[in-house]
Amino acid sequence: MFRSQSTLISRREPAQVMRLSRLGSLHQCRLSFMRILTRRMAREGWNFSRPVFDVDDQGVGHAVYTAQGPDRVYSLVAFAHDLPDEMRSDRVIAEAWDATFTLFDGVPDAADIDRLSQNVPLQEAGRVSECELSLSRANRSVRLWAHVVDALAKGQQPDAEQIAQVGYLMRTTAVYGSGKFGAADREKIAHRPEMQAPFQAEMLSVYLTRVFVRDLVQHMARAKGGDDAVDLDPSIARRLGIGNSTGLGMAPFIINHPVLFNNWIMAREEAIARVRSIATASPSEVAEFLSLLRRSEKSVARWRTSHEIQIEKVAALRSDIEKLNAFILESGLCGDHPWDKLSNWAEANLSEEGQEFVASLMLEPYGDQVDDLARDMSDANKDAFCIDGSMTIRQVSTLVENCFGWALSLDWSARENCARGWYVSEEKLEPRLGERFDEPIADYEQPLAPARDAAATHAALAGWDADLPIAEFLLHYPEHRHTIRRAQLSAAAPYAEIRDNTISASVLPIDMLRAKLSFFGATHFDPRSDRWVRICMYSGAPYPEELATENADLWIYPEVQS
Amino acid sequence: MSVSLNEVEAIAKKATRGAGYSWGMAEEAGRATRWLCAQGFDGCASLAALLGRTEGAELANLTPRAFTGEWDAPSGALCPILAGAALSDCAARLKQAEIQMVTVVEPIMILPFAATTARQLGTTINVEWPGLSATTNGAEISVSDGASMAATKVGLKIREGGALGRTAPRQTRAAPQAADWDRLQLFASRTHAPATEESRILGAGGDVSDND
Repeated sequence: MFRSQSTLISRREPAQVMRLSRLGSLHQCRLSFMRILTRRMAREGWNFSRPVFDVDDQGVGHAVYTAQGPDRVYSLVAFAHDLPDEMRSDRVIAEAWDATFTLFDGVPDAADIDRLSQNVPLQEAGRVSECELSLSRANRSVRLWAHVVDALAKGQQPDAEQIAQVGYLMRTTAVYGSGKFGAADREKIAHRPEMQAPFQAEMLSVYLTRVFVRDLVQHMARAKGGDDAVDLDPSIARRLGIGNSTGLGMAPFIINHPVLFNNWIMAREEAIARVRSIATASPSEVAEFLSLLRRSEKSVARWRTSHEIQIEKVAALRSDIEKLNAFILESGLCGDHPWDKLSNWAEANLSEEGQEFVASLMLEPYGDQVDDLARDMSDANKDAFCIDGSMTIRQVSTLVENCFGWALSLDWSARENCARGWYVSEEKLEPRLGERFDEPIADYEQPLAPARDAAATHAALAGWDADLPIAEFLLHYPEHRHTIRRAQLSAAAPYAEIRDNTISASVLPIDMLRAKLSFFGATHFDPRSDRWVRICMYSGAPYPEELATENADLWIYPEVQS
Repeated sequence: MSVSLNEVEAIAKKATRGAGYSWGMAEEAGRATRWLCAQGFDGCASLAALLGRTEGAELANLTPRAFTGEWDAPSGALCPILAGAALSDCAARLKQAEIQMVTVVEPIMILPFAATTARQLGTTINVEWPGLSATTNGAEISVSDGASMAATKVGLKIREGGALGRTAPRQTRAAPQAADWDRLQLFASRTHAPATEESRILGAGGDVSDND
């Protein structure tokens, strides 16, 4: 059950928070999964090693990186390949990659490596086992990889501007966990403290992938330049994150896991409410906020995108930050309930991008009051799935109205309101979004339009005796079962439902992708169309040999000269 | 083959949808099949057999007519997913009286729903048909000695209570027969849209370079 403190200021209303445009403006915060992981690893003094690095001069081979926590050890097994340029694609439908990975539960022996070498490079076409916690792959950034190898081989450091333009040497194009392709189910690790927060195995795998990529580029530079080659300057290496290309597949996730998604949003909203309820801010808290605001400005300045919508949003954010600086100069963040005042001012004066930026940033000085919320971000209550058939039809109708009141009067037969449909292609099971009136997809539609379905259910319930148990209705109308389940879930999970039309002619799937990625801790969202986005992970993070409690958390904000 | 329970749930859900059930019922079938496998039953075999049997049938004819009296279906045989979901929906009725179902096909599939009912009521639930008596507390299930799992069409009785006997160790993997898995995949594939060049380009937004 979600723990909530008694706060003076209550959490923001779901009707405000759960709009797609706002979800598509979320920023990372203290509760982001990457930061939860690095804080823990530093606090617990994890040990890291590289027992195997067996890669030839062509860049083909494998390596093992181990991460030893207090109770358990995890190993990233990395396979490096020689991929012809024409085969390189970020799409799910790709069949070969520059590098492939699995996170092994323990330390693999020779037989494990042999088994994995026959499966991991095949990705979806291979099989892994209960000993593996994730399966992933990455492609080189063609632009940056060759430049960095060439520069280091010649004994020079790569050009800072080119590093800034791209931000990473490789980007992952899928990181699968939770039982996919034969890997261990979430249940195997959910009880472990270090894996209790969401996506910790995946985040660990990406953290170690970044180390491998740095080591591989240095290895390739030495192979090319011999004695002339130099190592990558640690400060440049730190700037480099791991890119990620995220496609449509991530959008259904937040609709298909309503309780889990609720728990993420609820944790952040509760954190915001706690901070808004703080009566006064100490000088050191204000100083920390201001220092991180400076560092955020640098991060925002580095945000590159060529997507029209995001260009506008980043421009608005830059202007918002100017307004924010002026506001702070005036108010000084002093007086009664400064963070609540700041929030109210932001709501009235800034874009949604700016509002969410402020909301995340003001949590920073208050780790002692918000970090414990990370414990509530998983979905451990499997029984929530079970429908309560004794609930009356009236009660169910009310629940539907609470989440989808706005959708009930919409004309769902109008083309613009149902122009799109979500489906899964038989081609490598890639999730896609189609045009209902132009393509034969209606028969294959996935249940990813909760608002439309809720309106249909609500209308069907209207003809029934409101005092009857919902079981009576369900017996005759099984087609409404998934909607009634969601309605009941929403009673305890107010942020479970997106309060927007996910099949309208104007829906932007990138909003859903960003909502999820922001909780990973991603920055520098760079949409490549309305339905896939590139991001950067771990840029600025300390490598294992540098990781310490002092740098384990705020690495997400670039350093600035004071 | 060794598969994760997540894979079992995912394919069971898709296969059930592919066989014509509603999404909500497909979700029930996914959970039910996963639960059976976690208890050491061959849930994939049961579901594959069931979907094979119900293929082409009007599902309303396999649904209980009403919650009252002995449960029967217009076709004469109840589908255990449709009847099981109905059982779970009216769990509280078991507090008053046992429920009898006249004829259920692939009755093993009713057991996970008895477990859901047990969890809702916080009691044990006993299910009996000729040759088998099973008791579940929701998390685990015990089956009478010498019970036969072979029945494919039986009348059965469900009541509150019963003592949980020896239970099987919980499984974290399933080992379905390839033929059953393939059959489920065939049903699941009916939910996949054929790939067209247009959908390949537009459907996932792949119209800009991803190799740079």
